Amino acid sequence: MSDTQSKQNTSSEAPVIELQHVDKYYGDLHVLKDINLSVKKGEVVVVIGPSGSGKSTLCRTINRLETIDSGCILIEGEKLPEEGAKLAELRSKVGMVFQSFNLFAHKTILDNVTMAPMNVLHKSKTEARSEAMELLSRVGVDSQASKLPSQLSGGQQQRVAIARALAMHPKAILFDEPTSALDPEMINEVLDVMTELASSGMTMVVVTHEMNFARRVADRVIFMDSGAIVEENTPEEFFTNPKNIRAQEFLKSIKTH
Amino acid sequence: MSSAHLSVKDALYEAPGPKSRRAIRIATAISIVLIIALIYAIIRQFYITGQLSPKYWSFFTRWTTWRFLGAGLLGTFEAAMLSGVLALSAGFLIMLCRISTNKVLSMIGRAYIQFTRGVPTLLFIYFFFLAVPQFGLKLAAIWKIAIPVAISASGVVAEVLRNGVNAVPKGQREAALSLGMRERAVFYKVIFPQALRYVVPSLIAQLVIVVKDTTYAYIINFPDLMQNAKVLISNYDAMLSIYLVAAVIYILICYMLNKLAEHINNSTKVSVRG
Repeated sequence: MSDTQSKQNTSSEAPVIELQHVDKYYGDLHVLKDINLSVKKGEVVVVIGPSGSGKSTLCRTINRLETIDSGCILIEGEKLPEEGAKLAELRSKVGMVFQSFNLFAHKTILDNVTMAPMNVLHKSKTEARSEAMELLSRVGVDSQASKLPSQLSGGQQQRVAIARALAMHPKAILFDEPTSALDPEMINEVLDVMTELASSGMTMVVVTHEMNFARRVADRVIFMDSGAIVEENTPEEFFTNPKNIRAQEFLKSIKTH
Repeated sequence: MSSAHLSVKDALYEAPGPKSRRAIRIATAISIVLIIALIYAIIRQFYITGQLSPKYWSFFTRWTTWRFLGAGLLGTFEAAMLSGVLALSAGFLIMLCRISTNKVLSMIGRAYIQFTRGVPTLLFIYFFFLAVPQFGLKLAAIWKIAIPVAISASGVVAEVLRNGVNAVPKGQREAALSLGMRERAVFYKVIFPQALRYVVPSLIAQLVIVVKDTTYAYIINFPDLMQNAKVLISNYDAMLSIYLVAAVIYILICYMLNKLAEHINNSTKVSVRG
C-alpha cells in the first residue's frame, strides 16, 4: 500500500515523459546523441527537423519501438524496462499515432478501437463498445464504425487511429508524422482533431512538418539536427528568432517555397 | 489495391497491337486444329486396339460400379480431410517453432521443414506400413495413410504459414504493441488472422497435393478411390477405361478445390494502406 502511494506521489510531480542522456546507434551511425527531454503533464511538444535528423526515431524510442543503447527513459517517473509485463503496461499509458495509420486491416473500425481496451484493460464488450462509439463520434467517424479500414479515406483512418489511442486513456500521445502520408485536403481534418486534443489538456509529443500547427498549438518546439537536439524554444521565439544556425537555414529553406 | 482486378496476364504483358492480335489468332487456330487431331488420334488408337469395345465400358452402366467407386471416393475424402487437419495442426506448431526467438526451437523447426520437404511421401508411407508395426504400434488403415501424407505436407504448410506471417506489415505489430498488448495477444489477434488470409490459396493448393498423395493408400489396402479402382480393374480386366474414369474424378476434385481457393482469395482480400 505505502509503496503504491509513494509511487503515486512521485508520479504526480514527475514529468509524464522524461529522456535522460539517451544514445542510439545504427552500427556506426550515431542516430540519437545524448538526448535530454522532459515533457510535463498537459504540455504539447513539437519536434521539428530535416529528414534523417532522428526526430522519428526519438519519438519511437519513447514507446520502445526502437531500442536505445544508453541512457534511460521514464514514463511518469518509472523507468521503461526492456521487456515484459511492465513494458506493456507503460506502453499502454503512452498512445502512438503512426504516419501510415496502421489500423488493424482485418478488423472493423469499431473493433480496431475496442480491441486493446478489451484485451489489455479487460473491459467488457459492451463497455468498450459504448466508449469506442463516443470516441469515434468525438473524432467524427462514428458513421463508419462497421466498415473496414481500407474502405476509409486516409484522413478518416488517421482519426480512427487517434480514437484507438485515446481508448486506452493514455497519459500522453506520441504523433509520428501523422499527416505526412495524407492527401493535402485531408491534413486539416486530422490537425483539427489534434488541436482539440491539445486544448483538452492531453500531453503530446508531435513530430511534424506542419509549421503552422506547431506555431499555433505547441507549448515548446524542439529542433533536431543529425541526431541531437540543437534548439529548444517557445514557438514564437523559434519561428521569429531562431538561435541555432541550422534551424535558421531550415526555416529559410521552407519559406522560399 | 486495384491489383485485385488485374490478372497476372495484365501485369506481365502489354496490350497486343494489330500485328500481334493477328499472330495470336493464327496461333490459336493452329492449336485448335492440332488438339482436335490429337484427340482423333487417341480415339482411333483406342478403336484399333479394341479399347472402345463394350466389355470395357458396359459395367459403367451398372450402379454397383458407381457405388463401389463412390465408396472409394468417400475413403479418399476421409483420408484427405484427416490428413489435411493433421498437416495444418503440425504445420502450425512447426511454424511457431521456426519463428520462435528461441534458437533451439527455431533450429528444430528448420530441420523438420528441410527433412519433410526432402523425403518422398512414399518413404513415409513405407515407414508407417513396415517399420511402425514392428514397434508394436497397431494403427487403423486410415491413420497409416493419413499420418505419413500429413507429415509430408506439414513442412510445406509450416513454410506457407511463415511466409504469411512475414507478409503482414510490421506496422500492424507496432500498433498493437504500442497499445500495450503482449506479444502473444499481438500474434493471435493481429498478426496470424491476417497471415491466414494471405495464405489460404496456397494452403488449398497444398490440400490438392494431399488429395493426390492419398492415392498411395492402395499400398496399405485402405479403400480409397484408387484402391477401389484397382479392385474394379482386376474384376473386369479393364485397365484403361477405369483409370480414365478415376483420373477424371481426381481432376474434378482438384479443379473444385482450386476454384474454392480462387473464390476465397477474391472474397477475403485484405488490403493494407501505407
